[in-house]
Formats: sequence, C-alpha cells, structure tokens
Amino acid sequence: MSEYRSVTVTKGKGGWGGPLTIAPTDERPLIYSVTGGGIHPVAARIAELTGGEAFDGFKSSAPFDKIAVAVIDCGGTARIGVYPMKKVLTVDVHATSPAGPLASFITDKLFVSGVKPDDVTPA
Amino acid sequence: MTQHLPAASPPSGAGAAGPQVLYDTEVVAVGELVPQFVDQGVLVLFGEQAPEELHEFSVLHRPRQAVEGPRPGDEIVLGGTRLPVLAVGDVVAENLLNLGHLDIKADGHDRAQLPGDVCVPVGPLPSVAKGQRITILRGAAGGPADEGDRA
Repeated sequence: MSEYRSVTVTKGKGGWGGPLTIAPTDERPLIYSVTGGGIHPVAARIAELTGGEAFDGFKSSAPFDKIAVAVIDCGGTARIGVYPMKKVLTVDVHATSPAGPLASFITDKLFVSGVKPDDVTPA
Repeated sequence: MTQHLPAASPPSGAGAAGPQVLYDTEVVAVGELVPQFVDQGVLVLFGEQAPEELHEFSVLHRPRQAVEGPRPGDEIVLGGTRLPVLAVGDVVAENLLNLGHLDIKADGHDRAQLPGDVCVPVGPLPSVAKGQRITILRGAAGGPADEGDRA
C-alpha cells in the first residue's frame, strides 16, 4: 500500500501527442522501461515523482494490467504501437510520430514522444 | 577476428581481406505476425531477451558478434539473400547494439524516414526461419558507390 502522486508528461522538441497524466495505483504500479541499457532516465524520473516502481522490461516481463506507463526508445516502427494497442500509456524518448504497421492505435491520449526527464512534472 | 565469408559470391574488387563482419546472429524464433509485417515490407528483429509482447511480430535472435551498426553501402545477409543498405536512421546503431533491435524497411529510400529505419531496396523481403544466420557485412559489395550491378 503506497502513496502515489500524479505527473504530467509533455512532448519534447519535435515530439508528438500528449500531454499524458501518469497516475500509478496499487493495481498498476509499474513504470515499465522497455529501453536499452536498463531503466531509462525518463522512467526513473517518472518513478521518482510518482512513487511508482521502475521496472526493466528487458530483464523480466510484467503483465500489461500492472503497467502504469511504458517508456520506450522506439525508432518509429514496432514498440511505438504495441503498448497503445494494449491501451497502455506510452512515452517515447525519441521524437517519433504515429507510423508503422500499428500506427492506427497511436493517439494523443495514449502516446507522447520526444520526452526528456525535464518534460515530466508534478501534476 | 573471425571472417565469415558468405558462400554466395566471392569478394572481388574491394578490400583484399574480404568483408568485415559487423554483426552476426542466429535466429531463435519467428513470431506469428512476422509474415504480415514482411508483406508490408517491414522486418523487425529483437534480441531474444525482448519482453514477450514484442515476440509476435519479431524475429528473435541470439547475437554471436556485435561490433557496430550498419551504414549505407553495407549489406544485410539473411540466409541466401543479400540486402544492400541504402540508408540508416539515427537511433539504429544504439538499438541494435543495446537490444538486438533492427527495423528493416524495403522502401528504397536513400534517407531514413524514421529514426529506427534501415532502408533496403523495394522488393520482397526473404522469409526467415529458426536456426538461420543473419549477418551485417562491410566491404562485401565493393563500397557505397557501387550498388551491386557487377556481373
């Protein structure tokens, strides 16, 4: 049982979508980092400000219904659509726009891109 | 340094030492949606440690050698098919070396449309099977200026 806080994530330079409000809960506590090199600084920042649990998707897997937000470093084709398709809020650290075979699932209510740690602020 | 010389054709012309192997990996699984992506001219690779939600549309593989990412003029060799690299997006090398991730697009572009794209000529992408090798070679095609119309 934890105390969680909300954050607002706004698009960065050249980015698309959002802003998103990220609000972890006991049911959805995970800040899910699907990025190279461990927990991404953007995921770490979201976890720090919300009290959510940073989780490295390349180390072990998590059920979708536990994920508060997925943080990705997608170059525009694959991961960009996977999490929105599952209705999971998605933050891309690269400045991408909807594209790829799953583009139709990517909306500004579910997705924001070009995000740096400074684009994450208390809601 | 191991030298993997593809059987298809001997390296004549460029570098007497033969092509440099930038990346060498073995396919361990092919997701069920991969053929649909291939039909759209897209082939997605991820290292086998990728989370499960990425498996269905990905070729999962186990790298043996990961030196650097591709650049225009290199070749991606899938089974018996050689794909000349036309363009490479800004985040390709980082994604490949960190995650084993590559997005191959058969779009014929000489500039990557997306930061993760590796562009190859328009045309059918080969099917990929478990156990197959995928390599990225430099110096196999005679350099960036020579795009492979050698007899």
